[in-house]
Amino acid sequence: MIYQQLINGLMLGASYSLVAIGYTLIFGVLNLLYFAHGEVFMIGAFVGLFLVVYAGANIYGALLGAMVICGILGAIAVFIAVRPVPKDRPLAPLISTIGLTIVIQNLTIYLNGGQQLAFPETIAQKLYHIGPVTISAAQLFILGVALALMVLLWLFIERSKMGRAIRATAENHETAALLGVNVNRVVLITFIIGSGIAGVAGVLDGVKNSSISPFMGLGAAVKGLIVMLLGGLGNVPGAMVAGLMLGMIEILSAAYIGTTERDFFSFLILILILLWRPTGLFGTRTAERR
Amino acid sequence: MFNTLIDGYTQSILIFIGINIIVAYSFFAPFKTGQVSIGQAGFMAVGAYASAVLTQKFGAPFIVSVPVAGLIAGVVGVVIGFPALRIKGIYLLLLTLGFSEIIQVIVLSWDYVGGAQGYRNIPFNRHTLESVIVVVALLIFFFGRLERSSLGRAMDSIHQDETASEVMGIDVVRIKLFAFGIGATVAGIAGALYAHQLTYVDSTTFNVMMSIEILIFVVVGGASTYWGPVVGAVVLSLLPELLRTLREWLELLPVAWTNFYPADKIYDFLHGFLDFENAKRLIVYGIILIVMMIVRPDGLITRDSIPRISLKRWRARHA
Repeated sequence: MIYQQLINGLMLGASYSLVAIGYTLIFGVLNLLYFAHGEVFMIGAFVGLFLVVYAGANIYGALLGAMVICGILGAIAVFIAVRPVPKDRPLAPLISTIGLTIVIQNLTIYLNGGQQLAFPETIAQKLYHIGPVTISAAQLFILGVALALMVLLWLFIERSKMGRAIRATAENHETAALLGVNVNRVVLITFIIGSGIAGVAGVLDGVKNSSISPFMGLGAAVKGLIVMLLGGLGNVPGAMVAGLMLGMIEILSAAYIGTTERDFFSFLILILILLWRPTGLFGTRTAERR
Repeated sequence: MFNTLIDGYTQSILIFIGINIIVAYSFFAPFKTGQVSIGQAGFMAVGAYASAVLTQKFGAPFIVSVPVAGLIAGVVGVVIGFPALRIKGIYLLLLTLGFSEIIQVIVLSWDYVGGAQGYRNIPFNRHTLESVIVVVALLIFFFGRLERSSLGRAMDSIHQDETASEVMGIDVVRIKLFAFGIGATVAGIAGALYAHQLTYVDSTTFNVMMSIEILIFVVVGGASTYWGPVVGAVVLSLLPELLRTLREWLELLPVAWTNFYPADKIYDFLHGFLDFENAKRLIVYGIILIVMMIVRPDGLITRDSIPRISLKRWRARHA
């Protein structure tokens, strides 16, 4: 029983991690709470669904398509709601990305209606029994894709030249610019990567819950924020581990305490972390205290 | 008093605008010291449920229950505000967000206040409009006086630079806590007035989007002066009405002006654009927010624009 719950928690946590990675990357380079990230996640799920239903794509095609479209959406967000807004007023970029959130969500409702859509079955139903644990093929797939993506991203951030530029920008804009990093380009690329990953997370969420709705973004955004904080602002590996942790905590509290208390615990953790260790469990990458 | 003068529809719009002005001030008070809260809806919920319990279960009159509900929300605000003193910026934002989510979960799982069914049959206050007008007038007066008082200047100074203020001898802790508590109290009063107008509230009434809307009122109106929250709340509350009026005006155009190409296409486009359908209206709202932040990031009204429209200055110029 407990192993089964832990696996379920890992599944839930994997999608939290993917959303939070985008948040923490964007927060790292831009020092900005980017509100539209949850809606990018929602758009990813819709793109995946349309590709499967109307274009006859398989699940890999859906994942790839969602990644590309959401990456483009991230770039559009930079040009519309981030670059033109003055940076010296802390609330202006927050409000402009909230505006973008409202536009994306209601455009989806307008074009598609506000109802839930059933996500088609793309992975054959098959159950594997490993010791006491039963795991379905879809669950295995979700976990595999999420973990593979996290490893790839970690390698990209730690090993590639662009990854180094992202880390430098996160530490200090001016210094990075002086050392020859094109900060504007780094910000754009960070948005594209973060949004692409959120798109994949959206499709995986559709596969997991078998249904998607235009309102799924806000919940994902809020959970992503908690995970970002738990892992430490701007800390990518921190966000990965913290997402898995939050997923397990939620599933365990839902299983052993009660389903209404589930959200209570995640927010309680948020508040305790804020008061006890605002730098998150694993420390922040950005040294400056805010 | 107004029941005979104004029809019900106009009354409900005025009440709605008034409550929005009150909640805008509830965000403005802590923001004056630099504290950004997206948990104001949580304090509204505390006030709403407190006043509902006081009137329905204990038979208290509105004149007692609404201020007491404000005080209860204020006490909760100080309790939350005390640990919140240590943190700022995005951390405070997330703390207040977490607080309002926890309030939602508590009212959802607490059967005494209706639980998941929501709180039904809250006594209806026939004098909500009068109460709202009184509260708004008091708030404008209070914040107007505050702006020119030493306390208000101390708050502005804390907003600019906390360390420098502390060095100057300002009691930063007390003033920040005071500002947070005032904000929570005002939000509680607004929540109580709102509950007695709607007569039904549940855990989703006071959600994150509501807190975000409150923040938007102040930022769009302008946070550097006490008129900003009023302007933001009035303009954004009237926006849907404004779109509808524009559409009605458009329909008044003579047919001869619009029945040839390309004017007919433009007419159809504008007519569709100003449609009062919810999703479309919100799309327009979102676009307006983005454009506002690019064009006027300091809000519609700033401290510089007040003297320009002041009567005294006009008189001096035309003397």
